[in-house]
Parts: sequence; C-alpha cells; structure tokens
Amino acid sequence: MTGLTVAARQSLDRPIWIILPLALILIVLAVFLGVADLSPAMVLDVLTGHGSENARLIITDIRIPRIATGILAGIHFAVAGLLLQTITRNPLADPSIMGISQGATLAVTIFLFFAVYWFDSDPHKVYQLPVAWLPAVGLFGGLAAGAVIFLLARRHDLGPLRITLCGIAVGAVLHALAMGLIAGWGSARIEIVLQWLSGSLYARSWEHVLFLLPFTVAGLLVLPFLRRSIDLLRFEAPVALSFGFPYRAQFTVVLMIACGLAASAVGVTGPIIFIGLIVPHLARFIAGSRFNLVLPLTLLLGAVIVTAGDLIGRLAGGAEEIPIGVVSAIGGAPILLALLRRIR
Amino acid sequence: MPLSCSGLSVAYGPRLALNAFDLTLGKGEIRVLIGPNGSGKSTALHALAGLIAPSGGEVSVGGRAVASFSRRDLAKRLSFLPQQPAAPDEMTVEQLVRQGRFAHVGLFRSYSARDVEAVRWALDSTGLTGLAERNLRELSGGERQRAWISAALAQEAEILLLDEPTSFLDIGHQVEVLDLICRLSRERRVTIVMAIHDLNQAMSVCDRISLLDKGERVFDGVPADLAASGLIERIFNVRGRFVTIADTRAPHFDVELARH
Repeated sequence: MTGLTVAARQSLDRPIWIILPLALILIVLAVFLGVADLSPAMVLDVLTGHGSENARLIITDIRIPRIATGILAGIHFAVAGLLLQTITRNPLADPSIMGISQGATLAVTIFLFFAVYWFDSDPHKVYQLPVAWLPAVGLFGGLAAGAVIFLLARRHDLGPLRITLCGIAVGAVLHALAMGLIAGWGSARIEIVLQWLSGSLYARSWEHVLFLLPFTVAGLLVLPFLRRSIDLLRFEAPVALSFGFPYRAQFTVVLMIACGLAASAVGVTGPIIFIGLIVPHLARFIAGSRFNLVLPLTLLLGAVIVTAGDLIGRLAGGAEEIPIGVVSAIGGAPILLALLRRIR
Repeated sequence: MPLSCSGLSVAYGPRLALNAFDLTLGKGEIRVLIGPNGSGKSTALHALAGLIAPSGGEVSVGGRAVASFSRRDLAKRLSFLPQQPAAPDEMTVEQLVRQGRFAHVGLFRSYSARDVEAVRWALDSTGLTGLAERNLRELSGGERQRAWISAALAQEAEILLLDEPTSFLDIGHQVEVLDLICRLSRERRVTIVMAIHDLNQAMSVCDRISLLDKGERVFDGVPADLAASGLIERIFNVRGRFVTIADTRAPHFDVELARH
C-alpha cells in the first residue's frame, strides 16, 4: 500500500508545467545561436524589423524556417510513433515498421536515379538535381509502402502482430532495393541520398514548412476526436469489440493518420525515425497514470527534442554540422534503454 | 428470452469447432459450459458474443438476430469477458471500468452523471471502490479479474458471457469471483453464460449445465441429471463417482486416482 502511494505521488510530482517554458527558451536559443556569427543584438534588430540585409537573410530565411520545419517534423514523427505503438500494441513500433521510411527512401532513390535524365543532361552540374521535389516524392513513397502493408495485412486478418511482421518484411525488401540502386549507380547523386537518409534539417526553407503545415493542421484537428479510440485500440480486439468499439474501422483511421503524418515528415527531413520511437515512451514516463497527458506531451516533446537535437548538431559540428538524425539516434539510444528497463 | 441460439456451427477451415449448438436461457439464469480442452466452449462463447461469424445457425439477443446489431447496440445488451484479457500498461482500475461505458458514450460524447454513476456502481458491486486508483498491474489475480468483471458491469448489459473467469486463480479468488457472479444473477437478474473447468464449481454455481465434446453438445440439463447420466467419466476419460453432500446442493464428483 505504501509502495503504491509513493509511486502515485512520484508520478504526480513529475513537473509537466516546466516543459512549456523550457520549450520556449529552447526556441529562442535556436534562433539566437548558430554557425553564422550573429550577435544577440543583431538578431534582436532583425526580429524588431531592422538589421542588416545579411542578418535578416540568415534569421528569417534560414534559421526560423529551419526551426519551424523541425518543430512540425518532430510533432509528426512523435505522434505517428505514438499512434503506431498504440495500434500495434508494440512498444518498439515507429514509422519504420510500417515500411514508411523505407518506402520513402526507395522512392527518393528511384526519383534521383532517373531525374538526372529528365531535368538536366549535363552530369557535371550535380547541384541542379531537383531536390525541391524530394518531399513530394518521399511522401508518395511512404504512403505507397504504408498502403501496401495495410492491404497485405487486411487480406488476412488485421491482427497487430501480422501487420508488424508484414511491415518489417516489406520494409526490409524496400530498403534492400534502395541500397542496391545506390550501390549500383555510383555517381554524385549518392551525396544527396546519403544526406537525405541521415535525416537532416539543413537548408530547409519556408516551402518545407508550407509543405508540412496542411498535414500538421489536419492531424491536430482530428486528434482530439481520436482520444477515446486511442484508449480502446490499446486493448485486444475481442475486448475492445465487446465494449462496443468498432475496432477495424478505427484501426484503419488511426493507421492512415499515422502514415500521413510520418510520410509527409519523412519526405521533408528524411527518416529521423528515432523520434517516433522514443518520444512516446518519454511522454508516457512523464505522464505516469495521467492518461490524458500522453498525447499533448508527445506533441510537445516531439517539437522540443527535434529542436534541441538540431541545435546541438548545428553547434557541435561547426561548419560541418551533424544531421539531426544522427544526433537523435546517438542521444536517444541511452534514453530509450533507460526507459525500456521500466517496461516489464 | 434474453439469449438463445439454434443450430449454431463454427468452422475453422475444414474443422468444425462447434456443430449445431442449441442454447436457450431464461432471465437471470446461470448456464455453465463444461467440456474437455478443445471441445468448443470458448468457440461457443465467441460465437454467442458475435465475435466469430458462424458458418451456420443464428444467435438472437432479446429475440433479435445478433448479426443485425451494431457493435455498440449489442454491447448495451451483452458483454463478453475473454479468457485472461490483457490490459494496457499504466491503466488504473477506474480507467478500465470507464472503458465499459463506451457502448453508452460512443466516440465523442462526454461522460454524463448517469455514466459516472454506472462506473461507481460497477466498482461498488465488485468491492473495488477502495482500489479504484490502483494500477491494474499492482493487483492480485482475483482483484484484477474483479476489475474486468466490473468493466463488463459498467456496460449495464443484461447478458454476461465469461470465458474461464476463474482459471489461473487460487481457490480463494475463484470463490470470490463465483460469489460475485451468483449475486449478479440473483440480485440484478443478469443472465450469465460461462465456461469453467472445475466440475464441482460448475455443478454448484449453475442453474443448468451444458456438456460439450468435440464441438457437439452431449448434455444439457440440471446438474443432478448430469450426475446420473454417467457422461462425465466417459467424456473426460476419468474414473470417479458422484457423492451427495446435502440435499439442497449439487452432487460432488469424487475423482479416483490411479495410485489408490
């Protein structure tokens, strides 16, 4: 009895209110700090509508859209991870188990492979490669892979285990195809693919923000209506059905939302898959038994962790910045191990 | 007639798990299904709950075909508790019991005073009011099973189907669960169908008993008639005899072990 009250109090004591001011401080830091050496006074000048042309370019056209892209992508990955972990009842689920990141990778690889011939006949002009198309291509690849896996699983039975195994198998095939394609061509395109694959926010602009925003808005508008579904999808199908819950239909809806969020983010930033794996666990840990907080916390922490990881990558790497995908994997692995030790 | 089925058959591929099963229950009746492992008890319960589409026959709830109900409407009439249900991590007793109100609140409507009252009643009836805030993982097996029954009660259905609700519990907790089921039947007039393995518990708790073997119903009647039929020894392949303990109670099966 005492053990329980202590545990309950601990979970109530975990300071949630502190995350919001921390998030705001972090965003301010991300705006003020960077590789380009701008003094705080110069940044303030830009933010108040003055400042030099050069400083304004760095802040409003490079740093802020990059931070905004990171925040949106972080929300997408984290929420998609939470939804997928919920419906597959698998604590290790993330957008890669639905083949979403592998499908996006393959699509991007194929696109780049052929794009040279469509867009530019001069093989020396590598930077003419149509990188602006990558988000749309990645989104399409991710959604297509998710759809294939969903249909495969549906043809049999919509069991969470089957859908997970299906996703892993299809994902492995897609990944192998992409790698084979990359290994086979051996040209300057490799650099772009590798950059994309590492998961990066480098040179992300307002166009990327605008690409993500419709998905974010749609996802966030639907989420409040899915709260009860998310609770009930955590049960086994026979239990949820006997509570009167339309399991199949809701499973499909939630899966589609997760795929849309994950695929759009993968298209823009490349696979920062660790965020989808780790943030829901962190949110559950902080929320404890306060169920209702898991979803908002996942959202908030997704934004915070991507912003923080990108800031660290920008500052630690100097001119050769470390991609967010690498930072989040290196920093996230120990956190994940610590959190998973708590799962019995 | 709250619940009945006729000619109910379920096939898994070529194998017939349940063959032309008939059942008719009166209000407040406790019907127990017994039978060897794989005899079709669990299949019958799943088919009655509308969770498996039968290959033949029909289930009706309140005189209406189960297939014609939406899941939510059916859940208002009938609740089903599978064997050893798994609860999500980090769920408290009260959070579990609140899920039982889904049939009434649906996806969007918020909980009314009526729903809160039903949850309170369900917790109270199962003696869990004091444990409402406890995490399910911290409960004993008996308490956890009571929490699941409580969630089924919050549904306020007049029919309750239970698949081996006492398996994996020690004898004290088994009795606790059976007592609760009896009270529901007698005080709330809930109609109950459940599968249990313990023959003597089955005989003493039920109004009528159905014996299944290889998907066929081989007996349906009151416990005293089952005792007189000699079917138990044959179907379960055991030796033993029924002894009378008291006139008001069902006879007790005494197993003969080979070492004697």
